[in-house]
Amino acid sequence: MLEARFESALAHRDGDGNTYVTLRELNERGMIDVRGLATDKKFLAAAKSVLGLDLPKAPRSSATWGDMRVFWLSTDQWLITCPRAKAQALSDELVAALGVIHSLVVNVSDMRSIIRLEGERSREVVMKGSTLDLTDGDYGPGTVRRMRFAEIAALLHIVEEQVIDIYVFRSYADYAFEFLLKAARNGSEVALLDERRQLPAN
Amino acid sequence: MTGKPHRLAEGGSRIDRSKPVSFSFDGKSLTGFEGDTLASAVMASGQRVFGRSFKYHRPRGLVGLGSEEMNALVGVGIGARAEPNLRATQVELYAGLSAISQNRWPSLSFDIGAINNKLSRLFPGGFYYKTFMWPKSFWKHVYEPFIRRAAGLGKAAEERDPDTYEHMHLHADVVVVGGGIAGLTAAEAAGASGVRVLLIDENPGLGGVADLTAGKIGEGSVADHAAGLAARLRAMNNVHILARTTAVGHYHHNYMMAAERVADHDPSLLAAGAPRHRLWKIRAGHVIIASGALERPIAFANNDRPGIMLATAARAMVTRYGVAPGKEGIVFTNNDDAYLTAFALKAAGIAVRVVDSRARPDGALVQRAMAEGIAVSAGSVISAVEGSLSIKAVKVAAYRKGQGRVITEKRVTCDFIAMSGGFNPVLHLWCHNGGRIKFDDALASYRPATHSDAISAIGAANGTMSVAETLTEAVAAGEAAAKSVNAKAKASKIKLPAVTEPKRGPLETLWFAPATGGYNEGNKHFIDFQNDVTAADLELAQREGYESVEHTKRYTTFGMATDQGKTSNINGLGVLSEATGKTIPEIGITTFRPPYTPYSMGAIAGALTGKLFLPVRRTALFQWHTDHGAVFEPIGQWRRAYAYLRTDEDKHAAITREILSVRNAVGLLDASTLGKIEIKGPDAAEFLDRVYTNMFSTLKIGKCRYGLMMNELGFLTDDGVTVRLGENHFLMHTTSGGADRIAAWLEEWLQTEWTHYKVFVTPVTEQWSQFAIAGPKARAVLAKLSPDFDVSNEAFPHMSFKSGRLGGYPVRVFRISFSGEQSYEVATPANLGPGLWEAIMEAGQEFGMAPYGTEALHVLRAEKGYIVVGDETDGTTTPIDVGLEGLVSKKKADFLGKRSLEQSYLKGPNRKQLVGLLTEDPNEVLPDGAYAVREVKDKPPMEMIGQVTSTYMSPTLGRSIAMALIENGRARMGEVIAFPLEGGKVVKAKITGTVFYDKDGGRISA
Amino acid sequence: MIVVTCPVCGAKGDETDFHYGGQAHVRRPASHDPLNITDELQRDYLFIRHNPRGLHFERWRCDRGCGKWFHAARDTATLEFKAFYGMTELPPEDLQNEAKGPWADEFKSRVKAP
Repeated sequence: MLEARFESALAHRDGDGNTYVTLRELNERGMIDVRGLATDKKFLAAAKSVLGLDLPKAPRSSATWGDMRVFWLSTDQWLITCPRAKAQALSDELVAALGVIHSLVVNVSDMRSIIRLEGERSREVVMKGSTLDLTDGDYGPGTVRRMRFAEIAALLHIVEEQVIDIYVFRSYADYAFEFLLKAARNGSEVALLDERRQLPAN
Repeated sequence: MTGKPHRLAEGGSRIDRSKPVSFSFDGKSLTGFEGDTLASAVMASGQRVFGRSFKYHRPRGLVGLGSEEMNALVGVGIGARAEPNLRATQVELYAGLSAISQNRWPSLSFDIGAINNKLSRLFPGGFYYKTFMWPKSFWKHVYEPFIRRAAGLGKAAEERDPDTYEHMHLHADVVVVGGGIAGLTAAEAAGASGVRVLLIDENPGLGGVADLTAGKIGEGSVADHAAGLAARLRAMNNVHILARTTAVGHYHHNYMMAAERVADHDPSLLAAGAPRHRLWKIRAGHVIIASGALERPIAFANNDRPGIMLATAARAMVTRYGVAPGKEGIVFTNNDDAYLTAFALKAAGIAVRVVDSRARPDGALVQRAMAEGIAVSAGSVISAVEGSLSIKAVKVAAYRKGQGRVITEKRVTCDFIAMSGGFNPVLHLWCHNGGRIKFDDALASYRPATHSDAISAIGAANGTMSVAETLTEAVAAGEAAAKSVNAKAKASKIKLPAVTEPKRGPLETLWFAPATGGYNEGNKHFIDFQNDVTAADLELAQREGYESVEHTKRYTTFGMATDQGKTSNINGLGVLSEATGKTIPEIGITTFRPPYTPYSMGAIAGALTGKLFLPVRRTALFQWHTDHGAVFEPIGQWRRAYAYLRTDEDKHAAITREILSVRNAVGLLDASTLGKIEIKGPDAAEFLDRVYTNMFSTLKIGKCRYGLMMNELGFLTDDGVTVRLGENHFLMHTTSGGADRIAAWLEEWLQTEWTHYKVFVTPVTEQWSQFAIAGPKARAVLAKLSPDFDVSNEAFPHMSFKSGRLGGYPVRVFRISFSGEQSYEVATPANLGPGLWEAIMEAGQEFGMAPYGTEALHVLRAEKGYIVVGDETDGTTTPIDVGLEGLVSKKKADFLGKRSLEQSYLKGPNRKQLVGLLTEDPNEVLPDGAYAVREVKDKPPMEMIGQVTSTYMSPTLGRSIAMALIENGRARMGEVIAFPLEGGKVVKAKITGTVFYDKDGGRISA
Repeated sequence: MIVVTCPVCGAKGDETDFHYGGQAHVRRPASHDPLNITDELQRDYLFIRHNPRGLHFERWRCDRGCGKWFHAARDTATLEFKAFYGMTELPPEDLQNEAKGPWADEFKSRVKAP
């Protein structure tokens, strides 16, 4: 029988060791796009019955349950991330639980690539390509938002204070990685951001 | 041109005499000190001439203090790092710096182009418009090369820039532009309330011109106070300072651009990986403009001679750098401030006298000058300057306000002049985004009035020239700015120390210092030094009828040089005012445009160069394609394999081989870029009926249907195959280029028009790798991959769909065809794509399978007469035009574009219709886009009746084929029409149907 | 570059994070009575737009946020946004009263309808 071979977008790429934050692809996460109405109680209950947690309702927020995270994407859209191996089964479970409830669940595990930035200056590196004010208290751990990054669309997830995941459509992974290698190049640190980082959130 | 070293024995607040720095200027090795600018170090060497002027090639020396410098533009760096047109006043000296002068050949002291000066009568205002007019034939080979060579100043490097650049984004509650006492004070006041303050200054250090300012703040000097403020700001953790950074532009809603010169002053930073420049894109809550004022030159005869400087610049040369501008100087002024320069020169042991145009100046500084024994010639002007590369003497003449020419002159020897015509508030940032300004008679200049953004101006930028008033204004502005972004901001509680400053007498305007002759009698009174525009040029423009100041500007090029009229603007308006008898406000003012000072193209591009210049989208198979000889073609941002070249194969041979392999055996295409959108909900079918021209609610589950989409104008915008996955669940395919656009289009209609529809739309294009297995052996290949579903023709007919597995690969398989052959499109999750592709290639080997690219795809579809939206359509093409009226529903009451299709202008008999073309010579391939004409004539114009939309050599048919949109084409079957080509050749072709191959379509469902 | 705020998700950002969608409150005749649309009515729907100096009602999409369309009232002379409101909503009442041109009639007729 034909064995499936897995090859993620950045399978052949590594950080070049010349950056002041570490960069790597996270290819072990699976993703499920869920559409449904936040005003539909049956939808919310059915989703919770499978996921074990409430879909977050606050814009740009996320919720975590074990090895699963749910990102708020819109008033009627969420992105679930989970271990890649579980994604299809979880997706099938959701579809079954939702039944005729107005919803759309799609396993999109291969649609995006995730690039992880780790290090004291990871926010600074993102700010070289994004207009978002990541030194603002609004961007605490757990924050998720779509953004324009360099010349492409991306999804930002502040995992921890100094750990950031950037989700880009798979075809742009190489471009995004190149940009990050350049933005995070040793010697290009932005001194001004040192002072910013010490500020308490206001 | 070089004299003895001019470094004074002592003095120079900016330089460190214990640290010599060697550098070169025009190949000559020189030495300066740490803290010098290139300007001060070159001046210290005794050199006066920095370059030649733009039009007349007159020798020019240093005039200014900072970014307003208009003459001393130099090239810095060598080879790939050579950068032209830098202001020597802003270039910080470092060891090994190599600079050159510009716009001269062969040398600074002897310049061939200077003949232009002798011929200057031939170069009056409007010279360009008067000269480069006719004959028309001269444009391309005579005028344009001449203008191109003459335009610009320095030469850009020809090699690739080895340095990196980047952008950085920042948000700040309050942005203060300018680090002089006004900006420092405002930043402290705003910062004390806790908001985030960003202070931007274009100089390496803070303080602005505090060190050149008279008076005392508390017990210390103005400079001491500034130093104290700067130290306090540096200790505040909510105040950030960007030095060496020019705020170049202010845009809507307080968006600002600031260009930081990160490493220009220290090449070791570059070596360590720093970007050379960084462009800051800043969003500010409130902006405080504290950018100071610029001194005005005075328009007197030959006022551009090397050795004639602005008074503040001469003062700075002595006090900051310990450099003497000369041995014997004249301060020429119409205001009190320049007397400070006289004091500084005298203190340094330099002989100085003052020529003051005012009849009875009597401010405190004037009185002090007289008390100190400095010779003051009141009611006088400089009427002539002797010397060309350097000054030998001037003529001083008695003058009364308004006098047109002088009568008696007295020769006075001197070797430099420090001039001051008053000060202009720096209004650029205020005006970039539409700020209003008003004329202030006391200043004889404009100052800020009103603005629609949250922005304020303080200090000299606001026309406030007194230190005491500036401090009060700055504290108030800082506090108000903090309050405007945070209502709870507390008062700063700043207690201002007492200020003592000399009482100033009034300035008297002097827009034109008369000479013995008038405007046009051989005297050059320069207004715009950088573009070589004189008072006479402006006056001439007036006489020739250029009444609007904007017209005068363009006609004379006044204010249009790289300094954007910083020092020339108001002086020019003054001259125009006197020439016309109108007031300056009546004359009007020209527009201020970003950037305030030029900054590098590198900074503008930032990191987005080379591989990052344009985002490139790769399918999962990109590497495989590359490894197998693919040449790529851009489709939007995608790179798709165009053809796979084998060893010793050219593109044409590869394409021919690929086409024949699909027709005769089987081929494999990477179709992953096709748009894919999942659509689900109880109203999904009805929704599709609204967006497609044809019916989708009748489509059976598991079946595929080709659909057309129009915009509301009735024009084709996209097409593709949609599959019904379930009762309420569809998968739509769009064109590769249309994927994002159509997804957004569907969302728009759902959210804004048919809000009652319960439909969700999720784009999934990138989830899938999708490959077309096409050709008579396609089914055999699919069968060999052991699918867990029946692939027989009966169980899996054309236009149907199966979901299942090929071994370990989950797949969706669509039996659809864009080649006219038996064809299966197989989709699998993208990360499994490369593995499945290779498995298919392996299975196909025994059937003669070859990968085929987009060019083969296009020929294959053209042989079948299938349209490509964007090739056969041009945004004004209807479904009926392309012969697909069968796909336009007559049953549906409404769908997008339906009503427009009924408009009379889309119905007429003269619409262009899609037809096939067979050239009379089967080996002749029509050029893409070739025009068909109603009647061939000897030369254009000929009436056009249509154009070729697709044209290929068909290997299947062994002859050329084409499609074209031809006026009333379908009624002209069999007619031979003519296509006149460039060079006089005419190609004739017969109009036919669009299907060239397998007309009954048997192969597709075989 | 102007700053836009999405009333749906609260995202605030540069206009390039949003998509401008032209004049708001334009009625699509075919959605209401598809069989009785005069050429003139269709022409007005397709091509005729108000272009005032001052108060303008317009459509925007939160492109890099929640993806939702919404309405905005903006002064075209000062670029100041007077209000952001939902896609199915009418402007705040004070702005409705200020409205000129085709909007004035449109708002009146909508208010009358239950």
